[in-house]
Amino acid sequence: MTAVATTVGTLGLAEIKKVLPHRFPMLLVDRVTDLEPGVGLTAYKAVTANEPWYAALPDDATDASYPRVLLVESWCQAAGVLVAWENPNPDVLTGQVMLFGGMADIEFTAPVLPGSVLEHRIRLMRALSDTVIFEGESLVDGEVVLTVGRVVMAMRPASELTG
Amino acid sequence: MAGVAASPVTAAVTVLDHGDRHAVTEVVVDPGQQVFPGHYPGFPIFPGVCVVECVNLGAQAAPPVAGPPLGLVAVESTRFQSPVFPGDTVKSEFDWVADGADWLCKAQVHTARGRAAQVRLRYRPVETGA
Repeated sequence: MTAVATTVGTLGLAEIKKVLPHRFPMLLVDRVTDLEPGVGLTAYKAVTANEPWYAALPDDATDASYPRVLLVESWCQAAGVLVAWENPNPDVLTGQVMLFGGMADIEFTAPVLPGSVLEHRIRLMRALSDTVIFEGESLVDGEVVLTVGRVVMAMRPASELTG
Repeated sequence: MAGVAASPVTAAVTVLDHGDRHAVTEVVVDPGQQVFPGHYPGFPIFPGVCVVECVNLGAQAAPPVAGPPLGLVAVESTRFQSPVFPGDTVKSEFDWVADGADWLCKAQVHTARGRAAQVRLRYRPVETGA
């Protein structure tokens, strides 16, 4: 046993797609850095007005903020990279799949506008046999825009989804 | 246009009941929803955060009191209980509870197959400026 953690280098889109089943327009992680298996990672996502969520926004709308629930989704996908890194399964129809079990104490502290680059910080709090619990935050230009008190992900047989 | 915001859920929200600090809303999750091609290819599941968004859209459509619009400031808690698939109707039944200047929306979400989620959201009046 060694106490020295192994940090994986930067993951680009191809590596992310190897571990996550999400695809356009719901793949909301662009780049991962500082991945320490079992510990945490940092991930980045660039927000743009060309994402489909903005298609129906009227030209005179005064609120151009990124949908708050998608800030959470993007953060959770980054956490999913950490879970799946050691046991990747980009197929949701077979084997063990990762399900979003729940969350608590999620605070939106500032709006995120197109042109921003989200920096997600993911920390693994606890890993049980089939459940992983995370905490962390997201920043834009050094300012915290989202705090995540607790996100729970559960590994379950794919048959729970497919019936 | 105050109150109009970008959203991953483009389906219409219907307010079925809106009483004193209580409301029931529903969203028919048609298979054409824009999230499905990517979540997931070949096996569409309505994302959990979009279930939360259905509650949020319902809360915005059935606020507790007349006045300035409410902004979502926190997800106090959410527990997902069963998946939502294309064609499902997501029904949100919620109570509004005052907490200082904030409002808490406590929702139970169902589909025809039973409970889909429990969701608690926190809102704060948006300062619309001078």
